[in-house]
Amino acid sequence: MDLIDNILKGERAAIAKAITLVESSKDSDQQISRQMISELIKKPGKSIRVGFSGPPGVGKSTFIESFGSYLVGQNYKLGILAIDPSSQITGGSILGDKTRMVEISKNPNTFIRSTPSRGSLGGISMGTREASIILDAAGYDFIFIETVGVGQSEIVASNLVDIFTLIIGPGSGDELQGIKKGITEYADIFIVNKNDGELKIEASKTASDYKSALSYYKKIDELENQVLLVSAIEQTGMEDVIKTINQIIDQNKLKGIFEERRANQLEYWIEEEVKNIIATGITKRLSSKGNISKYSEKVMKNEMSMFEAVETITKDTLK
Amino acid sequence: MTNKSNNGFNTWQKSFEKETKKKFSDVKSETDEGIDIKPVYTKDDLENFTFVENNSLPGQWPYTRGPKASMYTNRPWTIRQYAGFSTAEESNEFYKKNLESGQKGLSVAFDLPTHRGYDSDDDLVMGDVGKAGVAIDTVEDMKILFNNIPLDQMSVSMTMNGAVLPVLASFIVAGEEQGVDRSLLSGTIQNDILKEFMVRNTYIYPPEPSMKIVADIIEFTSKEMPKFNSISISGYHMQEAGADNVLELAYTLADGMEYVRAAMSKDLDVDDFAPRLSFFFAIGTDFFMEIAKLRAARTLWAKIMKNFGAKNERSLILRTHCQTSGVSLTEKDPYNNIIRTSYEALSAILGGTQSLHTNSFDEAIALPTDESARIARNTQLILQNETGVTKTVDPLAGSYFVENLTEELSKKAWDIITEIEELGGMTKAVKAGIPKLKIEESATKKQAKVDSGSRVVVGVNKYKNPKEPSVDVRVIDNNRVRDDQIKKIQAIKKSRDITAVEKALDKLTNAAKDETNLLAPCIEAIKLRATVGEVSKALEQVYGRHFAKSLSVSGVYGKHFEGDQEFMKVENKIKEFENLNGRRPRILVVKMGQDGHDRGAKIVATSFADMGFDVDMGPLFQSPRDVAKDAIENDVHAIGVSTLAAGHKTLVPELIKGLKEIDPNSKIIVFVGGIIPEQDYEFLYENNVSAIFGPGSNIIESAEKVIDLITDNLSKV
Ligand code: B12
Ligand SMILES: Nc1nc2c(ncn2[C@@H]2O[C@H](COP(=O)(O)OP(=O)(O)OP(=O)(O)O)[C@@H](O)[C@H]2O)c(=O)[nH]1
Ligand SMILES: [Mg+2]
Repeated sequence: MDLIDNILKGERAAIAKAITLVESSKDSDQQISRQMISELIKKPGKSIRVGFSGPPGVGKSTFIESFGSYLVGQNYKLGILAIDPSSQITGGSILGDKTRMVEISKNPNTFIRSTPSRGSLGGISMGTREASIILDAAGYDFIFIETVGVGQSEIVASNLVDIFTLIIGPGSGDELQGIKKGITEYADIFIVNKNDGELKIEASKTASDYKSALSYYKKIDELENQVLLVSAIEQTGMEDVIKTINQIIDQNKLKGIFEERRANQLEYWIEEEVKNIIATGITKRLSSKGNISKYSEKVMKNEMSMFEAVETITKDTLK
Repeated sequence: MTNKSNNGFNTWQKSFEKETKKKFSDVKSETDEGIDIKPVYTKDDLENFTFVENNSLPGQWPYTRGPKASMYTNRPWTIRQYAGFSTAEESNEFYKKNLESGQKGLSVAFDLPTHRGYDSDDDLVMGDVGKAGVAIDTVEDMKILFNNIPLDQMSVSMTMNGAVLPVLASFIVAGEEQGVDRSLLSGTIQNDILKEFMVRNTYIYPPEPSMKIVADIIEFTSKEMPKFNSISISGYHMQEAGADNVLELAYTLADGMEYVRAAMSKDLDVDDFAPRLSFFFAIGTDFFMEIAKLRAARTLWAKIMKNFGAKNERSLILRTHCQTSGVSLTEKDPYNNIIRTSYEALSAILGGTQSLHTNSFDEAIALPTDESARIARNTQLILQNETGVTKTVDPLAGSYFVENLTEELSKKAWDIITEIEELGGMTKAVKAGIPKLKIEESATKKQAKVDSGSRVVVGVNKYKNPKEPSVDVRVIDNNRVRDDQIKKIQAIKKSRDITAVEKALDKLTNAAKDETNLLAPCIEAIKLRATVGEVSKALEQVYGRHFAKSLSVSGVYGKHFEGDQEFMKVENKIKEFENLNGRRPRILVVKMGQDGHDRGAKIVATSFADMGFDVDMGPLFQSPRDVAKDAIENDVHAIGVSTLAAGHKTLVPELIKGLKEIDPNSKIIVFVGGIIPEQDYEFLYENNVSAIFGPGSNIIESAEKVIDLITDNLSKV
């Protein structure tokens, strides 16, 4: 495919069109995109994939603008996949990330793509994983994935990246109760943003709260569960972030964790994909048979119990 | 005995109900402000007032009836037409002609590069020089602008906010070099930065340093320029951006409070500067509402200033300039605009404005021609000389309806002001983007009313003119203006003492690092022929440039069209499109160059999203190249360029070139919307623009055309 050559050459338009293919809901596009991804996987690049998640408005995009400028300033090539949460279920969406990444979007060494999350699980859109494969093959050094952190999304998002960072705001101490054991397993770095002006004291406090909460859950390894203080607006703390990322990557590579993690992720995605296909198939069968309404009527009329109905439908569907 | 219990009223009510076949209590019309207007008002409606005092007099507390006792009976309002275009030479000619024809004060419109602190030779402003105002790069330009206009006699208003320091400095130096001491200069500098962040978009620095600059100017003028208004606290732009009258009133007064606090933080006594605060409101088509707004504004401001501890009566009095509403004027059937403007002007006069700008009928087409400007000015001359409106002060006082409306507006605005104060004041609210969002919501509602036909705009959605007249337009050759300006800059740069200039600029940069008043070092630099751009950059080194983070409303437009056939037709087309193409139609809506008119772009973006498009929203001030990169990376089907400040002939071809440079096979199509004179359509089509949507375009119809053209384009191999 021409497209593949052009992606490997790093051509902007080819990358963009390839991402459209992997995001497409059209069957024929999906077929092409599968083929394409299988080819691209054979030509892996050297990208490090970093996830940035966090509650709405903590400054993820602003941080990416700021941190990203720092990286492109050091001649790295940077791909950004912003999963935009603003989508409405019924209507379309307004994708406004670029208004927060003004400087960096002008830079020739960046590629920035926004995708409406369309309410799919955890704010990760269909195709995000494939999109990062494309950017990797196209020669980007870093791939940033911005997602809104809600509920289960961290698990999904963290399975897309080599390093997962959680961005939090000053005074988000209330959420501390929320960081149960779970999140510490997914997040490698905690970034407390908005460490500036009046918010400085609050930000330091939040950082130390996090540190002690984390030590409670996990035995302390110097590199694990780092809590960093930054200000996206004043562009401070950026060196710490890159240093920490590099250290973690180096250490993980040394210990073999890096590869192990990618392998586990692959397993995760294969499982997800299989589940997905089965689920879609079953949903189709379910609705084509019309069993549910048939049996629910019976349950309503007390002709059978709900348990019996479920069992019958399941058997019939899996037949 | 009250009216309602009296027989007269009961009889009236019976007749009313018989005539209308409706219950009296059911007949109300809700205004944009959410005020229910009743079909009749009586003496009862003058009771229980909190703000309005029934027996007050003009020039007396609470000043509802006007800032002066005699008002126009002694001296009519000042006819002050806002103008400026091209070079200082051409604008100067235009001003002089206008003054000869009866205009009384000047009001300078600067071009967008000047507003944003760029010199004409900056690459970022290629399409904008001299287009939407006059280009001023150095004090030499300023001197030419006022050539043969004695600055000790002419009051000059300057709409300048972002680059307020170098521009005011240039004005002061121009005066000096004309032989006029700064203490004799009279006029107004707009210097209202908060509304720039909200709606006008010609800010340069972030909010905090910008507020500091505002305070510097108030401090400097209060000490050295006693005849000069240090600020023009403006609601006008808010209404033009879509705010209803309550929002306009509340946000303007809340801004005013913020400026008072900023000035007081400089250890000034409130009475030292408050008398030189001035205001600026828009006057739209809602005739009585606008009258009531001016009366309410004075009433509330008096109360506010009293709370600040003002002792001098002049500190309590709100004086205002007004401008008729440009956004009420249409591109279609443009002579209707003369009529609209006349009514609006009358409203402003009955409301008691101190000065007035009336718009030209070609408002929605281009900058006014000499001819259209003459008609606009004559609108006021006729009011002053032929109608008799100057002979009685506040003639509507005592009107049950107008007094009641004044009270209602006051109440509603006061509630919002109180809310903002509780949140910590306007600067905080503006930084959080809340007022901007509220105004955009109001604008979107208005658009939905017009598009659905529930609000009639004559000649646009009803009573269309089958034979649209074609009108002459003022054409400005921005490349020529730019070349002229560049030559002037180069000549000045050659002749000046560069070491002295650099030293002055360094001094300015250092001054910005502490609390020093910045106007004095600016004056020094400008005197030495530093340019407006250089001065702005010297400050930018310390403050940085501000980039707005924009939020968007969603669902407001769609909500108005629930169940609407046309709307659903577009929704269905989009669903079909998605089934066929595996994704929704995706459009990038952009603003390029220094054009900060974002009302249209924002409305189009939110309503297109409501119909089902995926809409990418670009930031303000993008270059064509940035847009091309953005469009290609997001693989959009189309780009919708919204352009209102006349940069389209330069910027749109650049964009299309930029797309082809990145991807020679690009299939992204380009739409253009906004202010495009008919004369330019052919040029744009020749440059591969797919469709043009002018002012007054129905958004649902536009969306349908967009989706059809995208579909067409995709089917071409
Ligand atoms: C509102 C307004 C303002 C507001 C802007 C508020 C805001 N945040 O947008 C304020 C008061 C701040 C303002 C300021 C200025 N303004 Co002004 N303004 C207008 C005005 C009156 C209306 C524009 C408007 O918002 N209309 C309502 C919206 C909804 O309509 P619209 O943008 O045209 O969009 C519709 C269509 O065009 C179309 N459309 C537009 N874009 C797109 C995109 C797509 C994809 C599609 C499908 C459709 C589409 O659909 C929309 C719905 O119908 C016009 C005159 C007029 N009547 O048009 C002057 C006008 C645009 N302004 C003008 C000028 C000069 C200025 C200033 C530069 C003056 C100065 N020198 O200081 C300043 C600076 C502003 C800046 N930063 O750029 C001039 C421009 C002259 C020219 N083009 O030759 C105009 C034409 C007035 C005039 N005749 O002098 N302005
Ligand atoms: N004081 C301060 N404010 C910040 C900082 N970073 C971001 N903000 C502000 O926080 C708000 C949200 O920033 P965004 O970058 O849009 O946040 P986000 O997390 O990407 O938001 P969503 O994408 O909507 O979830 C903006 O008003 C920013 O100006 C910072 O370092 N300091
Ligand atoms: Mg974001």
